[in-house]
Amino acid sequence: MVRYLLRRLAFALIALWAVVSVTFVLVRAAPGGPFDGERRLPPAVEANLLSAYHLDEPLVGQYFRYLGMLAQADLGPSFRQKDFSVNELVARGLPISLTVGGLALLLALALGIGAGTFAALARDGPRDRLLMVLATLALAFPPIVVAPALVAAFAVSLGWFPAGGYDSAQHFVLPVIALALPYAAAFTRLMRGSVAETLARPHVRSARAKGMPTRRIVLRHVLPSALMPVVSYAGPVAAALLAGSMVVEEVFSLPGLGRYFVQGALNRDYTLVTGTVIVYAALVLAFNLLADLCYARLDPRVRHA
Amino acid sequence: MQSRHRIAALSLAALIATLPAAADELRIGNGGEPLTLDPHRYNLNLEEKILADLFEGLTAHDADGRVVAGAAESWSTSADGLVWTFRLREDARWSDGEPVTAADFVYSFQRLLAPRTAASLAYFLYAIDGAQAVNAGTAPLDRLAVRAVNAHTLEIRLAQPFPFFDERLIYPTGFPMPKHVVEELGDAWTKPGNMVSNGAFTLADWQPQGFVRLAKNPHFRRASTVALEAVTYFPTADRNAAYNRYRNGELDVIGDFPPGEIGWLRRKMPDHLHLAPLLSIMYLVFNVTVPPFDDERVRRALALALDRELITGRVLQSGEIPSASFVPPMVANYRSAVTPMPQDQDAARALLAEAGYDADSPLELTLRYIAGPDNKKVHVAIAAMWKAVGVATQLHHAELNAHFAALRQGEFQVAQAGWFGENNPEHYLELLMSATGDVNYGRFADADVDALMNRAKQTAALQERLTLLRRAEVAALARHPVVPLYAVTIRSLVRPRITGWRANPRNTHPARYLGIRAE
Repeated sequence: MVRYLLRRLAFALIALWAVVSVTFVLVRAAPGGPFDGERRLPPAVEANLLSAYHLDEPLVGQYFRYLGMLAQADLGPSFRQKDFSVNELVARGLPISLTVGGLALLLALALGIGAGTFAALARDGPRDRLLMVLATLALAFPPIVVAPALVAAFAVSLGWFPAGGYDSAQHFVLPVIALALPYAAAFTRLMRGSVAETLARPHVRSARAKGMPTRRIVLRHVLPSALMPVVSYAGPVAAALLAGSMVVEEVFSLPGLGRYFVQGALNRDYTLVTGTVIVYAALVLAFNLLADLCYARLDPRVRHA
Repeated sequence: MQSRHRIAALSLAALIATLPAAADELRIGNGGEPLTLDPHRYNLNLEEKILADLFEGLTAHDADGRVVAGAAESWSTSADGLVWTFRLREDARWSDGEPVTAADFVYSFQRLLAPRTAASLAYFLYAIDGAQAVNAGTAPLDRLAVRAVNAHTLEIRLAQPFPFFDERLIYPTGFPMPKHVVEELGDAWTKPGNMVSNGAFTLADWQPQGFVRLAKNPHFRRASTVALEAVTYFPTADRNAAYNRYRNGELDVIGDFPPGEIGWLRRKMPDHLHLAPLLSIMYLVFNVTVPPFDDERVRRALALALDRELITGRVLQSGEIPSASFVPPMVANYRSAVTPMPQDQDAARALLAEAGYDADSPLELTLRYIAGPDNKKVHVAIAAMWKAVGVATQLHHAELNAHFAALRQGEFQVAQAGWFGENNPEHYLELLMSATGDVNYGRFADADVDALMNRAKQTAALQERLTLLRRAEVAALARHPVVPLYAVTIRSLVRPRITGWRANPRNTHPARYLGIRAE
């Protein structure tokens, strides 16, 4: 188990290094630099700026300087948010992304597991059909459509919720719903199939034949095994949700990691873009590792594969 | 179990309780995140707005955008226009109660120009004798001709006469620095809790991408006249999101809104809507180094084919002011001598034919513009007007940074450009000097224009100087290196209960003059 873990960690580090290197090259390949504004920069001023951020050094030197900083867990100074380091920005943005993402994950799981189970139990009935239509609709409308629609309906028209910001718990209601809906729909469909399959298994059928109440069959015999595919899918979903949703954070003016990424990319803030990508990649790798460890724990075959 | 119930009850309570804005807190949608609050490192207009509430330079803007006395109560200029002497107010205090002295200004000007500060707008004060050499690192800091005669007298010597210098000192680059704080804290001095300022407000809190909150500065010299207790700036980078938050009552002021909403706003919220032309010029620039735009006839033909009243009156429809002059029409003191050239399609076709283009071999060109719905409409209209004289235009758009990077590198044929800022004709006309470098995007060079501009820059007498500038403009525009189009309109929404909001071409609205009427 320890050897398996070490090997996985080594792979994760290599993957992270590859992400760092590709991002490092890609942000610099985008047209325009961090100090290209509309206003002019006299040569002396430009030289001062480039030297302050070591951009006047050869690219290879910059690359190794950056790797050296990363080794010390330092994501560097933000090129454009000059009063903050990238570490400080991540420390401020990540908790907000984690809050919205975490709540969205819980909501998606609760809705998905509940509705999926219910649909499977009422399979092919009108309630099942209605739920499946709703789930398909929720999948078809991504947050970029749902979020502005929620704002138009529940903020601007009805005035029930704020349209942006994060001063109170109320501010989180609409973004969490917008973020959770498509995943709730995916979980619903996954759960419905999985419950239906489990219901057809011999041990469930014999429990039924013995006259066990449905509620007990579902809770004790169906859910534990039916949840497996949902749990495995929840790993990557958690990473995607927790690392911050660019769309939802932009629409609701939430200062999370996704917003830093978007603004960083627009401003050609090399260190901020690379830093947020690294945090995102690290989260994805961590959650995948966690999911794999769970498999390994449950199924010894994985450990030796 | 007990604690779980408590958590549930708490979060429910939090869900029900919203945070209403304090009665005297102004909430401003500022269009984006300030990238710094260090007056020497700033680069954006939206940062300038926050900084102007935090600090006060020697001169300042009043509620109408006029230049008035700030931290200096008066000043005088020597006969040759080179030595400016400022008398500082003796009652001026930093927000920690320390006096604001001439030494703070000397320290600040030296810090701005020190190469180590890497101030991108250091050149704003290149007018000061020695500034350019200090900034380039070829002269020591004390070579800068800024001197504290005594605690409340500051003397600045310029390299050349510059009658617009009082206005140039309004920008954050000319703000004083609390030497005692900056030297102790270094770069961390701009963080909330650390920053000490001399303006009407102090920095209370700053959550990047969340908000910047300012609180009234009790030590400000005119604190008794400041009505607001707090001002919060929100980084509303998304125009639609900002508009929704305004409509929902979460913001009191936004500086922009989706252009498609203007009709609805005119009907439903006319008392919120403020349209004010900005001191600015939007124009088309020709790259005169690439054929066929090195041919003056081609440039003149393309200019003749345009109808700028159609662009402002029918396409944009928000009160933009058409301008045949390269200097924005509202620049004080300056009356352009350029004669407007009305649209003349026949003359345009004739010139094109002369240059060798006709229906069989039409002129084909690529017009670059900055991505955005308004810009798109304008440039589609321009392409249509050129099509009417037989020119085939291909449109190419890019986001702001990429657009101007391409322009500076001269990678374009014809492109949209814009220049904003000062009440000073030179600020615009300099773009047409050969020595200007890469923001003379089209690389226009004309010996007569250069000579007239250089003579103007050495002339201390204002009227004589303006006459030379007028002649330079006429000489330059006769060769059509650019086609001036219009001054942009700032479209703001301001709640009717906000008092003291005065439309002005600088689009400056210092919070110390604003208030909130009780409803």
